[in-house]
Amino acid sequence: MPDFADLGQGALRLVAPARPESIDLVHDLVAQLARTEDPPDPHDLMRFEMAVIEVIGNIVEHAVSTDPPEVTPRRFQLILDSTPAALEARFCDDGQPAEVDLESVTMPDPADAAEGGRGLALAMAAVDEVTYHRTEGINCWRLVCARS
Amino acid sequence: MTTFHVHDAGRGIGVIAPEGRLNMVSARQLTSAIGGLIDAGTTRIVVDLEATDFMDSSGLGALIGGLKSARQAGGDLRLARPSEQVRTVLKLTNLDRVLRPRDTVEGAFDA
Repeated sequence: MPDFADLGQGALRLVAPARPESIDLVHDLVAQLARTEDPPDPHDLMRFEMAVIEVIGNIVEHAVSTDPPEVTPRRFQLILDSTPAALEARFCDDGQPAEVDLESVTMPDPADAAEGGRGLALAMAAVDEVTYHRTEGINCWRLVCARS
Repeated sequence: MTTFHVHDAGRGIGVIAPEGRLNMVSARQLTSAIGGLIDAGTTRIVVDLEATDFMDSSGLGALIGGLKSARQAGGDLRLARPSEQVRTVLKLTNLDRVLRPRDTVEGAFDA
């Protein structure tokens, strides 16, 4: 079952299975930021939501493609933090390494009309900072969208 | 939950209007809806995005796949009435020239 928590001071937490159905929960969590005491500019929130959804899409896709179907699906934790300076998202999950090298991510050439491979490039274009690292068996993603 | 409204606009044009979010979950449904029109002989397709709240890279991939299928069948696929968020996705991915947004459904195949 998904688990929501309002951590106070503009921070929200969601823990949910890494399944496609959980993506709507992430949209809902981001939308909650608009109802906090210091709501972000709608354009900033839009950029932030785009990046957050691309990263959860990557986590879910990776979980679906690498985890055997009979095991209990891995869970991810997402913490959203809204400060006067920025919107920040921190994801972690205990699944297989994401095998991501963000330095090699580029936007596909539109002339190629590729149907995939734009997710992380879009996330990186939408917000100011996207980082990934793996620590002690945990995949950690951090996104920062500076307030305009 | 995303729903897809499909109707015949005449002049051999089919309109698909996704209502809700176009993401990893619903992108396959969009691909099916486009494929259904093409299989039935309607190869000129307008995707009316007025009621599409949000689109991610999976939704964008389904639109590109649909564009390629429609063109292979001798037709085309046009986008109408996208929100600011959808326009931003098209711009950041440099696909706004390939999938140029149109202001109206009726005029999507004019010029």
